[in-house]
Order: sequence, then structure tokens, then C-alpha cells
Amino acid sequence: MNIKATAMSLVAMLALLGAIFAASASASPTWNFEEEPLTGSETILGGAYESSMTIPGLTTKCENFLYKLSIENEESAGKGSLTEMPLYNCTTDSTACSVGSIGAESLPWSSHLSTFSEENYIVIEGVKVGIYYEGEECVLGELLISVKGSAGGEIDNESETATFDSSTLSASETSLKALGQKIEWNGLFPTEAFEWHREEAISVS
Amino acid sequence: MRMHRTRVVCAALLAVSLAALGLAGSAQAKLTGNYTKFAQCPYTNSEVRKCLYSVTESGEVVLGAKKVPIESPVILQGGFGRPVKGYSPFFAATNGVTLSKVPQNVPGGLLGIVPTEKQSWLVKALIKFFFENSLTGVNSTLELAGPASEIVVSELNLAGEEGTALKLPVKVHLENPFLGKNCYVGSSSSPITWNLTTGETSPPAPNEPITGSGGEFSLLEEGRILEATGTSLVDNSWSAPSATGCGGIISFLVTPIINGQLGSTAAGHNTAILNNTVFIGASSAVKTNNEENP
Repeated sequence: MNIKATAMSLVAMLALLGAIFAASASASPTWNFEEEPLTGSETILGGAYESSMTIPGLTTKCENFLYKLSIENEESAGKGSLTEMPLYNCTTDSTACSVGSIGAESLPWSSHLSTFSEENYIVIEGVKVGIYYEGEECVLGELLISVKGSAGGEIDNESETATFDSSTLSASETSLKALGQKIEWNGLFPTEAFEWHREEAISVS
Repeated sequence: MRMHRTRVVCAALLAVSLAALGLAGSAQAKLTGNYTKFAQCPYTNSEVRKCLYSVTESGEVVLGAKKVPIESPVILQGGFGRPVKGYSPFFAATNGVTLSKVPQNVPGGLLGIVPTEKQSWLVKALIKFFFENSLTGVNSTLELAGPASEIVVSELNLAGEEGTALKLPVKVHLENPFLGKNCYVGSSSSPITWNLTTGETSPPAPNEPITGSGGEFSLLEEGRILEATGTSLVDNSWSAPSATGCGGIISFLVTPIINGQLGSTAAGHNTAILNNTVFIGASSAVKTNNEENP
């Protein structure tokens, strides 16, 4: 009787473990085009609809925030590599500080798709952006400010966009830091293919 | 005639005094708002790029076997120049008070550093005399050892929580009538050198690594002033020389007692933890504020 009960408990436990593993496996979303998983690789190329970075007391915006992201599905999980991210016409909301130079460093940055609270996210890792502020009266002048960390953006299949803000960074357990402190990054980016699947509906699921 | 000459001299002296007052007035900063903290910054010096005003609000200094909590705020102020290899040279405060001399109470007072048991009759008698006069309290005052130019600042390390953020040469003045006026640990020729970091230390044993903090910062005045709160600068790798000059004319008796009570002050036995609010301002902005408010 005891042996039977133990065996049944073991079976139940194995079933539970199986269910957990199945759930975690399905938690890795993939890149899809026209509702079919992407095979091979594709390139997403675009410019941010809007983007700004705020260190407390100073917001920096770039008129042209371009990016090139190579994507693929690897072992049923969406991956990617951000290979280019030129930034132009960047300004601040300060009369004392202007942007002398700004640029992405240590490219490419790896990315992967993940699910948090049933929402799909793209998580970009190894982010490193160098900013050199100018201005005689700017307290950050003559310092190379390095923005580092990882950033998670929520993907909206309907609008084919990825949104990055404080709530998506928090939900995806990511953060960006400058001068040792968490900073805010807001951005809305289109996810449109520009190679084999141009003009096809892109989705993440 | 004599009366007239006296009047002329008096008038001349008065004119000179008024002129001096006028000059003093024009040299005095008329800073406003957030800029008032930088009143003693040498911002008229073209080599000064940033102004610093740092208030150490709490913390502790452990010197061998003695721990002194920082209970009264200590101010470090002045300016610093363009960084060379990440480190900026420091410039003294215009009023000469780069590091404010603020006495901190030594727990246990005189008994804490000169216990009566096993002392010579002379020391016992003198301690008794001072005890009877209720002068048992001992203060420890941190003083700058050497010119302000020996201070070094790294803004990036301060915020980035790695490396030395502030190099500070200091000496500790132990003050009590019994100890005399010249009881010091460290001196200008043999300073205690703190290499303070907001990151993690790597001290020799028996001390263990401790971690500071860059704190939380925000930019004020549209990016002209940076305020960092909760900044913790730490160093527990420093060594200190023996105390000298304690006890006045019986220094030969008292100084060894002090050193005996302090125990080993070799590297690994001492700690400095300074919890601060730091203000850094662009010197050009401070200058502009001064000029805008005549």
C-alpha cells in the first residue's frame, strides 16, 4: 500500500515537473512572419518614432535614432543582434548642456525574446552608449558619460512596435545606468523587416 | 596746525578703511539660490573648472582600537581643475577653510584613551586634577595635512563606484587640556592618506572589504549643478603613524600611553566611512551667477 502511494506521488511529481518544463519552454517566444516562425535570418531596420533618455534633471533626445537588428529563431527561441545604431541631431532640455558627441559602443549588442507577465518582450543586453556633453556652464562637461546595462521593451504585434520605458524595463528586470545611477529611457521603435520578409506582418509569440 | 594735521591723518585713515571695506565688499560673492554653497570656491581662477561643496553628515573613523563616530557635520569645499588621466587637481577654498575643523566627541573621553590603572603617580595625579575640573571630554578633530593642492578628485570614480574618488591627506588632532595642544596622529610631513572610494575596498587583513556608494544624484539649475545625496566614501586600507606631542611637558609619559591605547594603526586596522551630500557646480555658472547679482 505504502509502495503504491509512493509510486503515485512520484508519478504526480514527475508530471508536475514536466508541466513546469513545458511551460518554461513555451515561455520563449519566436519571431514570426505572416504567423509562421522565421526560418533563417532577417534584418529589422528602422528609426525610432520617438526616443529620449533622462538622467535626473537632464533629458537628451535624438531626432534621428536609427538601428539595424539581425533576428533569427534559434532552438525555438527568438534571438537577435543589434549591429548598428547611429544617433544624429541630439539635443538636451538644458540651456547649459549640449550634446557634443553621442554613439553606441561595443556593438553588436545581443538580444533575445522573452515573456514577462504574459507579455512578449525584446531584451537587449550589453547596451553601452557614450555621451559627451558640452557647455562652459554644464556640470557634466568634459566628462564622458557612459550609459550601460540592459533594456527590455514590450512588443505590440498589432502596431508592430517595441516600447521601452520605465515600466517595461522594470517588468523585464532590466536597467540602464549612467554615473552609477538608474536612468530613464523612453522609446517607441517600429519592428519592420527589410530583407526577405519585407512588408510581411511581423509578430512575436 | 597740529590739530589740523591730526584731522588730515584721521580723514586719510578713514578713507583707506572705507576703501578697504569697499574692496572687500566687491570681492565678496553675491551668489544666490543653489549657488550660495559655492561662496568659497575659487571660481575666478581660470584653472578651476568645477566647484565642490561636500558635507559629511555621518560616518566613523576607526583608528586602531578607537572608533570615533562623526556626529557634527564636516565641510570640504573648494574647486577642482580639468582632469588629467581621470584625476583633477584641487584648489583651496577662498577663505582658507578647505576642510572645516569640527571637533567630534571621542566616546569614553579621557578615560577611554588614558585609563588610570597601571599609570604613574604623576599621570594619575594630573588625570585626577583634570577630572575634578570636569574636563574629561576628549575631542578628535580632522584637519587637512598639507596644502589643498594635495587633494585629488575623480568625478567619474565618485559616480562610477570604482577606484579612488577622493584622495585626502589628513591628520587627527586629539584635544583635551590634559593632552595639550599638540597631540596629533599624523602630520604634514607624515600625513594619513585616505584614498576614498564609493566602490569596494580591498584592505589588508584583518580588515575586510567594505563598500561605499555613489548615492543618488540629480542635476539642478538646468545641468549647472550636480547634487549627490547618500554618497558614502570609504577607505579601510590606510595606515597611520604613531601619535605625537600628547601631554604637553609630560609628553614622554602620555604619548606612549595614547599609542598603547590606540593599538596597531598599521594598514588593515583603520577605517574611514564618510557619508556625504555632495554638490558640484560648473565654475563658469557660479561666476555668471555672481556677475548677475551685483
